[in-house]
Amino acid sequence: MENPVVMGHKNIILISSLLLLFTFTSAFGSQDIAIRAGHILTISDNPIENGIVLIKDGKIEALGRNVVLPADVRLIDANDKFVMPGLIDSQSRLFVMDSELNESRTIAPELNILDAIDPFIKEYREVLAQGVTAVCVAPGSRGLIGGRSAVLKLNGSKNVDRMVLKADATLKAAVGISTSNASSSLARLEHYSSIREALIATKVYMQRKEKADRELAEYNRKKAEYEKKDSGKETEKKEKPKRPARFRSSPASDVLAQVLRKEIPLQIEAHRVVDILNALRLADEFGFSLILDKCTEGYLIADEIARRKVPVIIGPVSTSFVDMPRLEYRNHNMSNAAILSKRGVKAALGVSGRDGASSKFITLAAAMAAANGMDKSAALRAITLTPAEMLGVADRIGSLQVGKDADLVILNGHPLDIRTRVEMVMIEGKVVFERKSQQ
Amino acid sequence: MVKAADAPQNLAIRAGRIWTVTDGVITDGVIIIKNGKIQAVRKNPDVPAGMKLLDFSDKDVMPGLIDAHCHLGLSLDIYSEIDETVLAVTPDMQILDAFNPLADDVKKALRSGVTTVLLAPGNKNPIAGQTAVVKLSGKKTKDWILKRSAGVKFSLRDDALMSDRRPTSRAGLLALIREELNNAKTHEQDKPDLRIEVLKSVVDANFPVYICAYTIDEIVSALTLVDEYDLNAVLIGAQQGDEIANMIAGQNIPVIYSPLLLFSRDKDLKRVVKMADGGIKIAFSSTAPRTALSDLRTSAITAVRYGLDTEAALKSLTINAAEILGVSKRVGSIQKGKDADLVILNGDPLQPTSSVEMVIINGTIVYQRQKI
Repeated sequence: MENPVVMGHKNIILISSLLLLFTFTSAFGSQDIAIRAGHILTISDNPIENGIVLIKDGKIEALGRNVVLPADVRLIDANDKFVMPGLIDSQSRLFVMDSELNESRTIAPELNILDAIDPFIKEYREVLAQGVTAVCVAPGSRGLIGGRSAVLKLNGSKNVDRMVLKADATLKAAVGISTSNASSSLARLEHYSSIREALIATKVYMQRKEKADRELAEYNRKKAEYEKKDSGKETEKKEKPKRPARFRSSPASDVLAQVLRKEIPLQIEAHRVVDILNALRLADEFGFSLILDKCTEGYLIADEIARRKVPVIIGPVSTSFVDMPRLEYRNHNMSNAAILSKRGVKAALGVSGRDGASSKFITLAAAMAAANGMDKSAALRAITLTPAEMLGVADRIGSLQVGKDADLVILNGHPLDIRTRVEMVMIEGKVVFERKSQQ
Repeated sequence: MVKAADAPQNLAIRAGRIWTVTDGVITDGVIIIKNGKIQAVRKNPDVPAGMKLLDFSDKDVMPGLIDAHCHLGLSLDIYSEIDETVLAVTPDMQILDAFNPLADDVKKALRSGVTTVLLAPGNKNPIAGQTAVVKLSGKKTKDWILKRSAGVKFSLRDDALMSDRRPTSRAGLLALIREELNNAKTHEQDKPDLRIEVLKSVVDANFPVYICAYTIDEIVSALTLVDEYDLNAVLIGAQQGDEIANMIAGQNIPVIYSPLLLFSRDKDLKRVVKMADGGIKIAFSSTAPRTALSDLRTSAITAVRYGLDTEAALKSLTINAAEILGVSKRVGSIQKGKDADLVILNGDPLQPTSSVEMVIINGTIVYQRQKI
C-alpha cells in the first residue's frame, strides 16, 4: 500500500509559518529534524519505504513518502537504514536496586515504585544503546500487592519527575509465587484469599467513604442554612447542626478503590495455570481492569484468557533471561507468546530479566518469540505499541504517528537480526545515543 | 534419553543450506546417512533411489551442538548431586555414575539442539571427579558414551573452600592440589589406590585436567599449575580470561567459556570476543541446569551480538568443543565418516529468529518439533 503524506495541522510550506518557525526555533534552540529513511517501521501502520520522518518540538510533525521539508531543517540521512519507535520493556528492573523491589508487608498498594528510583544507575546507558527509550518498572513479586508501577523514559534526566511518563501505570500484585523451589500450593490459597479479602474490604471502605461524603455534604448544606437563618430572625433559630465524625481515609484503600473504579489496572503476576485462573476469577468477581503478568503457562489456557479479552505481558520468553530455574518455570514454553497472540490475546513481551541491564535484550526476546512461532510484525508490536496501549501511554509513545513523541531508533538493519546495530536513539527529538564508528 | 524411535536406518537429508563447519556452507545439498554415519555430503540434491528422504529444501542443517561443560541429568528435582562435600579430593569419582539419561533437563537440552555434552562434577572440590563425554540419546552404550572418563576436574573457585575441611583458603587450595600431585608422582605402587592412579595418569600420562577458574588470579594459578606439572589442561569458565589472553594463548590452553548471561554488562559480554580474537580456542558451555541458560546456542548468538565472528561462533558450538573434548573423530562437523548427529533449523543457526525443528543422533530422529 502506498502511504499518503501524513501532515500535522500547520501548513509548513507557508513562508509566514517558516518565519514563525525560525523565530521559534532560534528562541528555544530546537531545530526541526528530518530523517530520510530507507525503511520506516511505523508499527501502527504499514512500513514506509524511502520516506521521511519530520520532527518538530520533540513531536512527530509529519511522516510519509512525500513530506515537504521546511527550510533550515537538520537532515539525517538514513537512506539504507531502518527507523522504528523507541522500544519499551514492560517488565524492567532498571533504576531500582534489587533489594528495593519488595516490601516485607504483603498488601502494600500505597507503595510507589517512584520512591525507589535511582536515576544515577549507569546501566541505563547500555539499555538505551540498544534502542530502549521507555521502561515500565513495577515492584517485585514477593509481596501479594507490591505497590504501583511507573513508566519511565530513559531521557538521561537525573530528576525522577522528569523521567516519569506515567505514574501509577499499574498496581502490581502476585499470586502463587514460590519463595523457594518447594511446592507453593498452600501459599497459593493464602495469596488468592488475601488479595480477595483486601478487595472486599476496599468495597466496604468505598461504601463507608461514600456515606461519610454524603453525610458531610448534608452537614455542610444544613450548616449553610443554619448560618443563613442565623443572620435572620431570632425566633426561627434552630438547633446548630452537628458535624459528623471525620472519616479516616487510608492511602492503601484509596489506591485499591482506584483499581475497583478501573482507574488503575491491576497487574497480576501469575505463572501456573491455577494461578492464572485465580487471577481471572478475581477480575470476574470484582470487575477491575486486569493485566496478566508473566503468564508462563498461559498457552495451556489461551482460550480462557482470550475470551475475557485480558491483555498479557509475557516474559521471560526464554528462561535464559532469569537466574535459576524456579518452580514457576517448570512448564515454560518458548511458544507461549506465539500461541497466545495467535488465539487473539493482546500480548506484550517483556524481558523480565534478573537485573536492570537485562532490558537491553528486549529485541532478543522478540526475536526468540518470533523463532518460536510469533509473527515478526506481532513481535515488534509487542515491544512497542502493545505495551504502550496496556500501560496507557499510547497517546505519547509506541509507534511512529503524527503527534506522538519523537522517541525513535535508527538501525543499520532489521531490528530482529542479531547483526543489526543501533545507530542512533532519539527521545523527544533529542539525540540521546549515537554509535561511535568502531563500536 | 529420548527413546529412539527406530533403529538407525539409511537416510537422505536434502537441505537448503548445510553448515558443515569444516567445509563451509553447501547450498541445496544432500547428506547421505548409512548405519548412523554420514556416508556422503554433496552439493547435488539428487537422492539415490530407495532411500528414505527427509526434505528440508528450505531449512538449514548443522552438526549437533556440543555443550562443553554442564551438569545435565545429575540432579534429583532441584537438589543437586554434583559435589562430593565430605572429601576434598575425589579423583576416583566418575560423574557418569550419577547420570540419569531420562532427566527433564536432558530432554530440554536435546530440544535446543544439543547432542553431545561434557558431564562434570561441580566446583566444590579442589580435585573433583572424572568428567564424561556423552550423547544425549542412544540405544547401545557404545552409541552414546563417547568417553566414560574424559579427564579430572579441578576447581580453583571459592566454592571449593569450606569452613569445616581443608582447604579453607585460596593458598591452601593450591597447596592441597600440589601435595596430591607430588604424592602421585612419587608414589610407589605397593598397594593399589585408585585415587593415586588417576592422579598419576594426570602427571605422568597426559590424562586431561579440566581446571575451573574464573577470575584473573584463579586463571594465573591454573596456568602456573599447568606449567609446573606439564599438565594436559583445559580451562573452564575463564570469565576474565581476556585480561590475560596472551598468557593463555601462549600456553596454548583451550577455554570452555562460561555461559553468556543475559543480564551481564556490555564489558563482560565482550570478553569472550577478545579471547577468540586473541587466538584462544573457545568452546561454549551452559553449566545447565545450574544456570537458566540451558539454551547453549543463545551464548553463541549473544557473542555474535557483541562482535564475535559468526564462523568462530559456529565452530565454538561444534568442532572446537569436539576437539577440546577429544571426540572430533566422531562428532563436531558434517563430514564423511562422522556420526550423523544433526540439527535442522528454520534459518541461520546464529540468528535468534531461527529455532530447532528436528534433532538427529546417530542417524535416528530423537526430537521433532510439533506444530503449534
